[in-house]
Order: sequence, then C-alpha cells, then structure tokens
Amino acid sequence: MRFFTVLSTTVLFTVVTALAQDAGATRADWPHYGGSPYSWRYSALDQINTSNVKSLTPAWMFQTGDYAENLQATPIVVDGVMYVITAQAHVFALDAGTGREIWNYRYPPVPRNIPGFSGNRGVAVGDGKVFFGTKDNYVVALDQKTGRLAWKVNVDDARQCGCNITAAPMVVKDKVIVGGTGGDGAHRGYITAFNTRTGRLAWRWYVVPGPGEKGNETWKGDSWRFGGGSPWLTGSYDPALNLLYWGTGNAAADFYDTERVVAGADKTKDVNLYTASVVALDPDTGKLRWHYQEVPDDIWDYDSSYEVVLLDRQIRGRMRQALLHMNKSGLTFVLDRATGEYLGSFSVPEVRTWIAGVTEDGKLVGRNEPVMGKATSICPSAAGAKSWNSTAYSPRTGFLYVPVNEMCNDITPNNHPADEGKNYMNGDFPFKLPAGRTTFSHVDAWDPVTGKRAWSMPYKYVLLASMLATAGDLVFTGNPEGDFYALDAKSGNKLWSYQTGAGHRGSAVSYSVNGRQYVATPTGWHSSVVGALAQSLFPDQDWRLGSTLVVFALPEGSR
Amino acid sequence: MKIRLKWMAAAIALGVSCQAQNIANVVKQGDAVFAKTCATGYCHGVRGGPSGAPRLAARGFNQGYIDKVVRNGVPDTGMASFSTRLSPPDLVAVIAYVATLNGIANPDVSMDGAGDATSARPTLTGEAARGARLFSEAVRGFGRCSTCHEVGGFGIPVAAPLAKVPATAAELKGLATPDVKTGAMGGETMPVLVLSQRKQATVFYDLTSAPPVQRNAEPGSLKLIDGSNWRHTSAIGAYNDSELAAILDYLRAVVKP
Repeated sequence: MRFFTVLSTTVLFTVVTALAQDAGATRADWPHYGGSPYSWRYSALDQINTSNVKSLTPAWMFQTGDYAENLQATPIVVDGVMYVITAQAHVFALDAGTGREIWNYRYPPVPRNIPGFSGNRGVAVGDGKVFFGTKDNYVVALDQKTGRLAWKVNVDDARQCGCNITAAPMVVKDKVIVGGTGGDGAHRGYITAFNTRTGRLAWRWYVVPGPGEKGNETWKGDSWRFGGGSPWLTGSYDPALNLLYWGTGNAAADFYDTERVVAGADKTKDVNLYTASVVALDPDTGKLRWHYQEVPDDIWDYDSSYEVVLLDRQIRGRMRQALLHMNKSGLTFVLDRATGEYLGSFSVPEVRTWIAGVTEDGKLVGRNEPVMGKATSICPSAAGAKSWNSTAYSPRTGFLYVPVNEMCNDITPNNHPADEGKNYMNGDFPFKLPAGRTTFSHVDAWDPVTGKRAWSMPYKYVLLASMLATAGDLVFTGNPEGDFYALDAKSGNKLWSYQTGAGHRGSAVSYSVNGRQYVATPTGWHSSVVGALAQSLFPDQDWRLGSTLVVFALPEGSR
Repeated sequence: MKIRLKWMAAAIALGVSCQAQNIANVVKQGDAVFAKTCATGYCHGVRGGPSGAPRLAARGFNQGYIDKVVRNGVPDTGMASFSTRLSPPDLVAVIAYVATLNGIANPDVSMDGAGDATSARPTLTGEAARGARLFSEAVRGFGRCSTCHEVGGFGIPVAAPLAKVPATAAELKGLATPDVKTGAMGGETMPVLVLSQRKQATVFYDLTSAPPVQRNAEPGSLKLIDGSNWRHTSAIGAYNDSELAAILDYLRAVVKP
C-alpha cells in the first residue's frame, strides 16, 4: 500500500512536470502574449533552423496605416488567423499565411485631453472574442469572427487617475484580466478581471492594500492612497497550480520616499507592499496567495512589472516548479512558483551601482539611495537594464535570452506633494551612458540555475525589442537601426539578418499555417517615452518610425 | 498739487510692483504645474530640459506659440491638448512659466481668452468642495457617482447629463429611473439602459453590476420590457446621508439647468 502511494505520487509528479514542460512551448498557434501562459516566447517549430535560416525571406508584409506611433503589439495567431493591434487601437484579423485582411476594427479616436501615451502591446484571444485595452481606459471585446464590438467597460476615468491600458490583457478560463499604467503618478495600482462573456466585473486586486488589509502597515500615514505599484504589463498562468502571476510596479513617489516609508523601516524586509513584487493570485477570486517583494522601498523606479517565466528545472538536485522574474534593475529572481520561496538570483547588467550585492537568502546589500537636493549616479537607469520588451526561454538550451541595456541616470529627488493622477515621480533623472564604454547593450544567454552568463553579443546602441526562441535553436530579435536577425541559440553567433526599413521596439512571434513555419515581427521605432530617451543619446542616428508587420518564411519548395 | 503728484507716483509704483509680484506668483504657480504635469521625466525634463519630449527652455518660443501648443497640443505626437485638462488659472500659469524659460521676463498673465466655458470650474468651498471630492473619490472603486455620471470634466457619461439636482438625499435615493428597462437576452434578464437601437444592433448598458458594461445585441436578440428592479439607491449605497447632502451641494454649484 505504501509502495503504491509512493509509486502513484511519483507518476503524478512526473505527469504534472511533463505537462508544465509541454505547455511552455507554442506550436502552430501563438495564442498568448508570452506565447504560452508560461511566457517562454519559445516556439517548438524547427522547420527554420540553424542550417537553413540563411535562406529566410519575406513571405508577406502588412502596413497598418496607423503611423501615430510604432507597432509594438505581440501578434496573436489562432487557427491560421493573426490578430494584431496598432497604437491607436486599430485591430486587424489577417490570414496568417498570406496577410489578407479578414476584418478590421477601428476604436474611435480618443479625445486629446485624455492623458497617457499612445501605444498598445497586444490583444488577447479567447471565448470567441478578441480583447484589448485602450488609452481612455476601456477593456473592449470584439467578436473573433466578425470584428464587431461585443462589449466595452471603463476601468477608471483616465482623466482622474492618470492611468490607462497599454498592456495586452490575459484570458484565464472565463475571465479577461488586465493591468494598468499610472504608477509614476499619484495613483493606486490594481489588476482587474472581467467576465469574458458579459464584461461584468469579476474582481479587482489592489496592489497597495487599504486600511485593515495586511500590508497596509508597510505604508506611512495615508500614502497608500497614491502608492503607485501599477502592474502595467501582462501576467502568466499555471493551470496545474491554478495560480496567476503578475509583476507589480514601482512605489510612488518614485525617487522620494519620506512620505511613504515609515521612519526606521527595516529595508531587508517588506516595505510598501505589494509594489516591486511578484504576486501569485487565485484567478477565480483575485485573492493573494503569496508575494515576493524584490525591491523593498523602491527608490530607483525599478518597477517589477515585467514578464514572469514559469519553468520546471532541477535546482540543487531537486526538481522545482520555478519562475524567473527580472525587474528593471536586471536583478532576476528564481522563485518556487507554488510557494514564493527564494531559490536564487542573478544580475544581468555589467554596470551596477544601485546595490553592492545580494545575500544568500535574497536580501539587497549596500543600497545606494538617491539623496534629496543632489544628483546621485545610479546604474542601471530607470529605463531599465531591460525595458518592457520580453525575454525568451528555450528548454533545449535551458537559457534565458535577455536584451540588456547599459545606461545610468543621475537622480535628483524633489518633494512635490501628491496630486491625484498627476506625475509623482518626484525626481529628475537624465540618462547617460556609463563611463568608459563603447557599446551600450548586449544580447545575453543566462543559465537561470547556475546564474552564469553562457554568451553575450555586444551591440553599439540600445536594444528595445523582445526576444523569440525556437526549437530550430534560433533566437530572433531586432535593433533600432531596422535589422531583424537570428542568433545561434547555443553560441550567440549571428546567422541571418534582414533590414526591415524601420527600428524594432516590438515582439516577434513564430507560428505555422499548412505546415509552413513563419516568423513575424512588428516594426517601427518608438517615438516617445524610452524610445525617444534612448534616441536622444544618439543624436546622429535616424531610427525610422513605422508600423508594419514583416513576416518571414523559407522559400516555397525549399523545405 | 505736489503732494497729489507724489501720491500718484507712489500709486503707479505700487501698481507696477503689484503687477510684478502678480507675475512672479503666477510664474511660481506655473513652475509647480509644470513639475507635476509636464516634467514627468518620460515627457519634458525638469525646468524645460530635454527628456522623452523635446527641450522647451531657450528655444526662442514667443508666448503666443506656447499658448497655442499648450492649449491645442501637437497632432500625432505625445503632446496632448491641455485646454480642458488644466484649470484656466493653471493654463495661464504654465504658459507664463514656459515663456520665462524662453527669456520672456514679464509674460502676459492676464486671463483673456483663457480656457473655455466647459473647463471653467467654479471655486468650491465647504460642503460643496467635500461633495466634489466624494463624487469621484478613488478609494470607493466602482461605488462612486463618477462611475456613471460625468460632471465637471470627470466621470463616465453612462447616464444622460444631469439636468435637475434632487433637493434632498432622500429624493436622490428614491430617484425615478424610467429609462432603465428590463432586458432579456440569452435566457437571462438584466437591468438595461438603451443607448441606441439600430438595424445592425442595439447598444445598451448592462446595469447588473458596477461598472456598467456597454454591450451590443444582435438584431432581435434583446427583448425590452418597461420597468426594472434596478434602484438608484443601491448604486449609491456606499455613501451616507451626510455625504449625499454634500454631493448635492456640489451638484447645485456646478450643474446648470
């Protein structure tokens, strides 16, 4: 009997593990923002591989016609149909094999007095609908077949909260779940879930707990009201554990903590919960299951809103259900995704001045905090050792592929009072290049178990496009000069490159239609926010804007 | 006569120094508005320095140009129109401040042509000011008036613009809502507020729970029945009577019949 229990437990464990590992990759479809709900950005397709990638050629292109900003969306592909959204929320359904338009939907122009940047990082598809967020803070559902409006619901008055939605929503079972922006303003961030069929509110989870809730005691006075923490990107989901994972944003005010941190707070413990954290929520109820705060008292604008990569790996002799999570500082945490237990960490930027290091149990050591009234040089910058563009993980190499930027900023804090929905960064932070460097970014391959860098390919400017890994042992990404290229996943050697005519700030995907593998990339340099900041460092460069989807495949007949 | 002249000179001097003081105050106010609205790091830099958006200091801008750009925005860029986002005094102040960054020592701080009628917010005091806060208080989530009503440039215009302000909290709770009907769709009934009925679709708000959801019904799929079990009193249940009275004070101050 006992033997039987052990045996069945082993069998069950093996099955669960196998499920998790299988579910991480995409195949013919690219159904979610991060590829699968595990956010690997890894395709199991290997038709295009290291031996034939040099023959890769454009199969079709699609000009969106919306040139207000660049195309940053991750295209979603389901059953041979691609769904893509532009900066001004023009949504297209395209035949993924040919680029033929099936339908389009244009969200009405947003009044010019609505604050926020135009930009949209993707749609979510599920329950026969296409979901997206808008600049004026609506979640919108279209009929997947016709593109007709099914429902729309306002999440918050953008004029009051100074918040909106640029992230792709996420569908989990019968809910569409969305994070918002606003954490650099006087705002209290949250994640909201709506019923996919009716649009009715399912739950809302506030990043910053209110009075009487656990964690509220980590805030000074009533600073929780405008504590920031906006989770402005897209989460991940583990169906076996039924846990939803999301990264949360920086505390507000960003660079001045006197109003929000209780005097004498121990910064080796949680401060200003649940900002700059990874949280695991019950997707059915929105209840918090566990949290791990990566940057207690985040005074560098190192928000942790980035993607959460779910993977199963042998760590110190034991198979772990783990997650990888990088925040803007480039410090990447390896946690047990069932419990939030700290398993390890590694830091990707080569120039780091914000902390001296991390202890065995994950505590930050030697905090270099900006001081009121003077400029403190901090590396990496608030633009991030990585920006919001995603990493990719390949189970074949076991490496996490990371676009790393080496920038610093001189932070001078100020103490403007909070004014709801208005800027509450409370600091000046001009960007600069680190002294003595000739290259300002690199694509890296990191082994998350050993915390060692396997290879690194330097690049002279910045890198702000996502990574795509494939079973063909290729890693795809693009640069601001317009090159879209493939690296050997094992060595980092460049195997192929194509000049797409405009800079890259989006996220490439891979999928197949009728047995033919495609690699699709959005193009167009980002003309505001970090794109513009980065470009201001290189005034002699003319990185072209645009909004075109470029799709590659091997030539017909060559397969 | 001599005395009179002396007095006049003093009065003029006083006037000039009052004017200078006024400009200084307005510019100072503009500095504060700029810091929280424009110098957001990702947009313009502190004191008009370069950042995500172009530098504004020492660009040789004249005040008319600054005025135009601040009020109207710049199409197809991140520069929004601030004509309704800022109050008229804040608009004048921030324009004056940016003028000083461009070497205009004594910018025009008159309110001529400042703002438009829709952005003119009366100065509220006492209970009305408290009511304005309560109307759209963020901590109330979807249980605030602004979830369904747009007043003074804030809130979501689900309901038609307010035409008449109820006299008392009791009247507000007992408000008749004849436009809310019962809709039957897909085997489910719900309180609905119809926006439009066209051949292609009926567009309505589903008021089952807050926030209201704007939904589209295919032709013939939604059946409408007069009357509903929806009550305004449930929607405002998070407010107590004193708070409702303050909100009514606010509405009386701003809603023009």
